[in-house]
Amino acid sequence: MSNRRMLLGVGITLSLFATACDPDGLTDANNNPNDPVDAPSATLFTNSARLAAARWLDGVNGTRYGFLPQHMAQVQYPDDDQYLAARLGASATANLFNNSYNAELKDLDILIDRGKAASEPGLWAPAMVLSSWEFGVVTDVFGDVPFTEAFADAATLRPAYDPQQDVYDSIFVRLDEASDALASASNELGDGDPIYGGDPASWRRFANSLRLRHAMRLANNAGELSSGRVAAEVTAAAGDAGGLILTNAQNAELEWPGNGIYDHPWATNFKSRDDNRVSYRFIEIMRTLNDPRVTVLAMPAETPLAEIDSQTINYCPSSPTTCYVGLMNALTHDEASPLLPNTSRVGEIFYPGVTAYGVFGGTGGAYPSRFFTAAETEFLLAEAAQRGIGTVPGTAQSHYENGIRRHMEMLGIPSTTIDAYIAQPAVAYAGGTAGLIQIATQKWIALFTDPIQAWAEVRRTCQPAIVEPGPEARFEVLPRRLQYSTTEAAVNADERREAVVRQWGTAGGDVMTNRIYWDTDTFTAANPTYVAGCSDASQ
Amino acid sequence: MRSISTRMLAVVVGLGLVPATIAAQQSTTITGRVMNDANAPATGVTVSIPELRVGTQTDPMGQYTFTAPATATGRTVYVIARRLGYQPDSAQVTLSGGTVTQNFTLRQSATQLTGVVVTALGIEREKSQLGTAQQQITSEDLNTTKAMNVVQQVQGKVSGVTITGGGTPGGSTNIVIRGQNTLASNNQPLFVVDGIPVANTNGGAGSLTNRGGGIGNGYDFGNAISDLNPEDIETFTVLKGPNAAAIYGSRAQNGAIVITTKKGMATQGRMRTELSTLYTWDAPGRLPDFQNQYGQGAGGSFSYRNGAGAGTCDGCDQSWGPKLDGRLLCQFNSPGAGTAGCTATPWVPQPNNVKDFFETGHTMSTTLAVSGGTDRANARMSVGVDNIDGFVPNNSFQKTTGLLSGQLQVSPRFTTNGVLQYVRNNGLNRPGTGYNNSIMEQFFWFGRQVDIDALRDWRAGSGVNGGAGGREYNWNYNYHNNPFFIQEANRTSDSRDRFIISGTARYALTDWLNASLRSGSDIFRFNIDQQFDPAFLNGTYVDQSYAGGFNFISDYRNEHNTELMLNANRNFMGNVDLTAMLGGNVRRETFDTRTTSTTGISVAGIYNVSNAAITPTLGQTITRRNMNSVFGSAAATLNNYWTVEVTGRNDVSSTLPEGENSYFYPSVNTSFIVTDAVPALQNNWLSYLKLRASWAEVGNDADPYQLATTFQGNANQFGGRPQFTLGNNLLEPNLKPEITNSTEGGIEVGFLNGRASLDMTVYRKETENQIYLVPVSPTTGYANKLINAGTMRNTGFEALLNVTPVEVRDFRWDLTFNYGQNQNKVVELAAGVDRIVLGNGLFSDVRVEATQGQPYGAIWGYDLRRCDGGAIDDGLCTTANLGQQLTSGGFPLQTDTMVYLGSIQPKWTGGLSNQFTWKNMSFGALLDIRRGGKLMSYTNYVGLYSGVLEESLYGREVDWNNPGVLVQGFDVDSMAANNITLTSERYHQSLFGATGLTTYDASYVKLRELRFGYDLPQNLANRVRMSSVSIALTGRNLALWTDVPNIDPEFAYSSGNFQGVEYALPGNTRSFGISLRVTP
Repeated sequence: MSNRRMLLGVGITLSLFATACDPDGLTDANNNPNDPVDAPSATLFTNSARLAAARWLDGVNGTRYGFLPQHMAQVQYPDDDQYLAARLGASATANLFNNSYNAELKDLDILIDRGKAASEPGLWAPAMVLSSWEFGVVTDVFGDVPFTEAFADAATLRPAYDPQQDVYDSIFVRLDEASDALASASNELGDGDPIYGGDPASWRRFANSLRLRHAMRLANNAGELSSGRVAAEVTAAAGDAGGLILTNAQNAELEWPGNGIYDHPWATNFKSRDDNRVSYRFIEIMRTLNDPRVTVLAMPAETPLAEIDSQTINYCPSSPTTCYVGLMNALTHDEASPLLPNTSRVGEIFYPGVTAYGVFGGTGGAYPSRFFTAAETEFLLAEAAQRGIGTVPGTAQSHYENGIRRHMEMLGIPSTTIDAYIAQPAVAYAGGTAGLIQIATQKWIALFTDPIQAWAEVRRTCQPAIVEPGPEARFEVLPRRLQYSTTEAAVNADERREAVVRQWGTAGGDVMTNRIYWDTDTFTAANPTYVAGCSDASQ
Repeated sequence: MRSISTRMLAVVVGLGLVPATIAAQQSTTITGRVMNDANAPATGVTVSIPELRVGTQTDPMGQYTFTAPATATGRTVYVIARRLGYQPDSAQVTLSGGTVTQNFTLRQSATQLTGVVVTALGIEREKSQLGTAQQQITSEDLNTTKAMNVVQQVQGKVSGVTITGGGTPGGSTNIVIRGQNTLASNNQPLFVVDGIPVANTNGGAGSLTNRGGGIGNGYDFGNAISDLNPEDIETFTVLKGPNAAAIYGSRAQNGAIVITTKKGMATQGRMRTELSTLYTWDAPGRLPDFQNQYGQGAGGSFSYRNGAGAGTCDGCDQSWGPKLDGRLLCQFNSPGAGTAGCTATPWVPQPNNVKDFFETGHTMSTTLAVSGGTDRANARMSVGVDNIDGFVPNNSFQKTTGLLSGQLQVSPRFTTNGVLQYVRNNGLNRPGTGYNNSIMEQFFWFGRQVDIDALRDWRAGSGVNGGAGGREYNWNYNYHNNPFFIQEANRTSDSRDRFIISGTARYALTDWLNASLRSGSDIFRFNIDQQFDPAFLNGTYVDQSYAGGFNFISDYRNEHNTELMLNANRNFMGNVDLTAMLGGNVRRETFDTRTTSTTGISVAGIYNVSNAAITPTLGQTITRRNMNSVFGSAAATLNNYWTVEVTGRNDVSSTLPEGENSYFYPSVNTSFIVTDAVPALQNNWLSYLKLRASWAEVGNDADPYQLATTFQGNANQFGGRPQFTLGNNLLEPNLKPEITNSTEGGIEVGFLNGRASLDMTVYRKETENQIYLVPVSPTTGYANKLINAGTMRNTGFEALLNVTPVEVRDFRWDLTFNYGQNQNKVVELAAGVDRIVLGNGLFSDVRVEATQGQPYGAIWGYDLRRCDGGAIDDGLCTTANLGQQLTSGGFPLQTDTMVYLGSIQPKWTGGLSNQFTWKNMSFGALLDIRRGGKLMSYTNYVGLYSGVLEESLYGREVDWNNPGVLVQGFDVDSMAANNITLTSERYHQSLFGATGLTTYDASYVKLRELRFGYDLPQNLANRVRMSSVSIALTGRNLALWTDVPNIDPEFAYSSGNFQGVEYALPGNTRSFGISLRVTP
């Protein structure tokens, strides 16, 4: 090869080299081919609704919260049940706080902004209702939480905490705004809304019912009650032209596809884990009230023990060998684990069929998660009517009985059985303080698949009174809240500290035994009350 | 770039005119004789001129002759003589065009202060002229013993290098040089093979399988660097940090490992064959000490009914049951088990039930290479085959490597060479990792009475698959699968087809200037095919209601580099040597990962996408990165003893925003050979003294796609509805590159007539402007924000000592000690951020983080509240109240928040190698030492909780009504001294969450390598027509000394930055083998 040809070769190579250096081609490589810079609103809504249900309705770890209101008890590794810091403390529950905000609440906030900018109430109002539902849960679990400054601006990296009172105010305002807007909204979400298919009328009922829930949540706070705010909110919610959720067909619920990818969280957990049993306290109530729901909500124990003792309780409604056996919360490991075959799992309706330890049920994967049910509305109305809070239609007794009926119908209990149940002296509405206790007890049963709400009501009403920490619990009161996220302690320390001091003073601190704003133990209002003695001392 | 290229073209064209004026020349014959230090002829010595790629081997008389091409005539080059077991020798000769005689004497010396070494960009330089620290390992040192990954073969041999592993056979290996530099991105060095950067990744993102292993689930598929065949490696050079590697720019932040492969030689057309073969027997490195006194159960009781909870604790996976005293109890393998007619059998311990699960592994490794050539063309071809039958049942690996390299002198001025490397790497049934997936996992949730032999046939029972409900026959149906079933019914296979190819053309423009163009690619496709039996309990992989599940992953990776360089080498005024280089590089990188998985298939046994019953989850992630670079260096050496070198590189990266994406890194270094400058200093005691110093700045760009937050789709529709969410990381459109500043100084001393040498370096490096995600308040809507902030500093000292303490007649003793000490400190994070979490433990009860003011890798966890030693000042501890703080039930209280338990950073690491040679026999041992650094062990944590470890016997009593642990302490409510005695079971289980109790000082000393070799006497070897035959017995990881109970402290879960937490790993492979190496 001659030198000249060689040079030609070198020259060509260099030209190729120069082409490869094209600067536009260089930076184009950084355009992300995997993820888009925008996404349709309906897809964000679907994702948010799914996450909200999975996170709070049935627990991220399957049954993690069932032990708080003592619907369930842990039969193996009862560490959560013992309120062990490693399982229930700030570190263990940090993701609940964190992901509520940075997953679904953020996306719902985007949808509210988008919908408002486009003047589409059919988009922003459902997002606002769902967001209010979750903010309500979050503040009820933790206390004061960031609201006003949350998602405000990327530059505000350390949002301040709003007092719970203010969060409640905002929830009321938002629900009112959403309810009004939904009156004339068109369906924007369609099938992207897995709860109501985008139907504005349904979302409006949900908004009003949620407003009723939050109003009554404040009803044991003397200040809120005497200021008339509770009454005003109850009246506004109950009197809204859009109506309330009063039939099971109107329930705010999310149907799980049950396709192996998206199953009801309990079913997913039960496939591989057999850690939970129905609680002693739940069976005790079922037994006291001779309640037919036990056959749906629990399975008979495989090998029931003969006697009731401090660890188990038997309820054998139909035959002496078919027993529903409740397990005491917070036993030691060595006490609880041998009771695995002697105690009741939750009902077959929650089981997906094949599990690691046997075949139970079959359709549990498609069991719906319920954000709000007609039964809850009825019990809220019953309490308001009994206590004379605001203006509600109907009597306490009718709402109480309707509440029981709606829940039992939802579980497929025949109407004759329901009638017989309600007719029992212990169930028949007694009125007065006894009636309020009945309402609270029935509501606690009806919230079986919504343990976070059941826990909130146990805190507020101290009913059922038998719910108290198990023998090996690490502290002697029920947890009154969960601790703030460790992430917040690390990156939003000043704001978090301010909220903690505001709520519990400098000595109190961010602990599970401290009470949040509405969870007052000093209620002394003149209304008939069942909260007398609902204080740390009595527990 | 266009204008620059045009100018470059003009320069090249201009320079290209020069050669035409040079007259025709004669080739040079180099000849001579090589003797050893016993003054006997040394045969089989390779004598070569590396830069010209010519050379030969000595004959039995020690004579050699070869020819250097005419084109090189007039040049001054290094002639090097090398033979295994000897210190290489080199000499500078000027190619006269006639015959040059050069004799060598090879010494069996440990001193390695001089000689030609490979440096950055594969350039060979005289070590004495280098101003930076690097350590080169020869092929022989590298291949003392055999490990599955070439990086493991380096363990204990290089100072300042920390190597940890994923802990499963074939698993990944993490190598960090001089401490971690970056808070959140890759801290491992760049690997370069024959000038081509090669990937050491173990996978892409977004897959179901955590393929680097994981704390919860995962399978560790190893790093890609394990593809290399160590037998093909000629030199393995560790460039210790930014200084030596600065010319690599962005990628050299963590140092570089530069590998050259063996090449062909001019052998006058004769073929040369090399064979090395090795066979080893392998076993798990360390198994825990289990207790053998109590069996499965809780509260001292147990009865078997169905293994799923129908009996007393027969679904439990703990060993707090009855004493193993031979009493008769119905057990899972008793006749009639599961029925009312179960025949009770003796309840006895099975001390070896874990050990007997494992098998003896076998490794067969062979490499055959042929090479040959003339003075104008040469080639080498090798084929290597590894066959490994793992010590985990049904686990095996195969690796086939082929390497073809050749050089052709096209014309007197123009040479080309090419390297083609093909690797096929297969793994079958790699054991799982992590809490829910590790093959060892169930031995820590176990019944100590379980007879492992009864489990071998998992189809043994009467049910569909052996056991009830479609399950395999097993001792427990609640939580565990039969381990043999897991290894046999779930078929996991992986295969990587890889090409590493490069071609280089080199043209001598003048006798002092040449241009070279190199282009090459590292290309692989990696396929993982996992099949899951429906009875497999891990719901992440299979839904039991279906007929099975699968997970298919396909990676494609291509990194292409084209590099043009001008090299000048000229002597001025007789006493100044100037070496200069100018180059440009274009790099294009693509990584494409696709996944297809489902947890449910329709028809059993057909693991194919078309058989999915649950719509398969599809995933695809494409990552691209481009970089254009210009670089150069210039080194001037005065009188052969003082060298000053400057380097510079400018990178333009695609991953940074325009305007910020072009950045320049300079470095400067100098070396000064005192004993050459002042020869009077040389005496019998001091033979060599060199000082060196260096300063460098390099940096790092970002990962791709870090400039704008995007929406992320969910691969699965929700009942037919697509789902998107806004990403959780608030990204940064104005990123700047990270910057590492590094300063080092060193001293190299040869003394005692060259019988000892010491090479020491101190360094300080600091990385600023770090690109990493800092956590922000989640209430902003984001979990993290990407920032440019934070500083991490490493300061350290490393030393390499070579001594020959004894050298008498036929006997010699060589000792090498390397030592590395590194202090890491997270100097500063971002404003308002005092920690970033690198990883969380299993139960959120331990975390490893970068904490401001602490070394990187700070372990935080819960500890017990004690009033003795390290007392906590909570007002409860007084002189009257001593010991632990307890509940009124006598249970130990734990701290309310996590406390700092220590850092993962070792105080120092070292390696001590001793080599004894007597006549034809040699004996070598390498100790690998690590002092300090903490490790949190979940193996101990879980094993104490579940009562399987020997330590859990503490406080156990035969009579469970008379239990045995009385914790010394006081009730924090009554302040009374404790008088409540707990059962051992309750005591140990009350410690759940107290991760501080199982956090240990991870110091260890390992007998890493042991080798006893015998070289056949020369005349015997010659009689079988071989120049050298050596046989050796080898051992790896034969002994471990550590205070950490039950585990091998070398391991952690991951090969990434999350280190310092361990669970259920079988430990380093312990192997014993025999090897044969034949050279004709």
